[in-house]
Amino acid sequence: MFTQYFGNYLLNKGYLTAEQLHDALEEIKDARLKLGVLAVNAGYMTAEQTEEVNEAQKKYDKRFGELAIEMGYLTEEQLKELLSSQKYGHLLLSQVLVDKGIMTLSEFEKAINEYKRDYSISDKEFEAIQSDDVNEIINKFIKFEGSKNEKLLKDYIALFARNLIRFIDRDAVIKEVSKLEVYDCQFAAKQDISGAIVLTTYIEADENAFIQFASKYAEEELSSVDEMAEASVGEFLNLHNGIFLVNLSNQGIELKMTPQEVFKDIKVEKLFKVSAELSFGCVNILIQEH
Amino acid sequence: MAKETFKVLICDDSILVRKKLKEALSALASFEFLEAGDGQTAIDVYKKERPDLVFMDLVIPVKDGITAVKEIKEFDNDALVVIASSSGTQENLKKAIKAGAVEFIQKPWEQEQLSNVVKKFLKKGE
Repeated sequence: MFTQYFGNYLLNKGYLTAEQLHDALEEIKDARLKLGVLAVNAGYMTAEQTEEVNEAQKKYDKRFGELAIEMGYLTEEQLKELLSSQKYGHLLLSQVLVDKGIMTLSEFEKAINEYKRDYSISDKEFEAIQSDDVNEIINKFIKFEGSKNEKLLKDYIALFARNLIRFIDRDAVIKEVSKLEVYDCQFAAKQDISGAIVLTTYIEADENAFIQFASKYAEEELSSVDEMAEASVGEFLNLHNGIFLVNLSNQGIELKMTPQEVFKDIKVEKLFKVSAELSFGCVNILIQEH
Repeated sequence: MAKETFKVLICDDSILVRKKLKEALSALASFEFLEAGDGQTAIDVYKKERPDLVFMDLVIPVKDGITAVKEIKEFDNDALVVIASSSGTQENLKKAIKAGAVEFIQKPWEQEQLSNVVKKFLKKGE
């Protein structure tokens, strides 16, 4: 998920075009991560230092790591750590961009530092975010302005993201949250949660995304919004809310829920809309606080 | 000896869950399946058919799962009802046990959980 966030950040900041991002994401799986990108990402070396090492490599038949140590830019420990570090998606993306000449290493260094600063991300948080720790990502990037239960809603969306990844689409990405006065739903599964906290929750999508979503969860090819498709999206919402209630129950908060229902073309008022981007389209989760 | 067939009632308002549960159980033994989409229908079907085992969801229309378990147990104190629900909250676990359910399976279930239930309550002594 973080690869998408970082890619979109580079796009929004004008480092690359949408087409370049798209092409680079396609090539990620073939990318070979080099030490320069890793060292800059970790903040152990500047882009300038890596360029120097690259230049030195042209003169001496030595490995990058060996030279970097000799030149005093890396310690043995740092090199060992970099060599064993994980192949995070955003690094592979950056490597592709550097390899293709779309971005220089200096621009990557600038972007990654701006990124940490813009979102006030500490090194520890960055470590968690890089490794696609969904809770950390949601906590940092998703805001529910003016909500009475912001922490709870963040937990709700983090769980939703995990369930999407687990049951529907490994590459699911939670996009933005919007606070709306009114929203016209196309197809929506609905479930009420009540107790100390009262919420109405929906999973909403256009016809095509609704059918695709239903097909994924039911593990069978569905072609229209029929009884099985409605049952499938409804059951996913029911499962998600059920797990959410169990988590709260373990913290001593007991809530109840109603049977799920599916509607077409309804209007929902005063809500938060959270969009999730899936490989087959966009699905929204709608939350009304009462 | 002919293979034993068990009569099982599945009560869940989701046609998908009923289908998946039937598929999962069919891999474990021979079953005759009965279905209900709400609590009242489950009670009516139970009284008429006296199944060997019941899988009961909790959040269902008309009469909820806990009420349905209570009424089934009032009718037949030996009824074996297993709750299969996504909302295994502390409160629901307590209520289910009090109502007389013999087991609680949190959705999404693992095949092993179903296998254990079948062994424990149906294929006794095997």
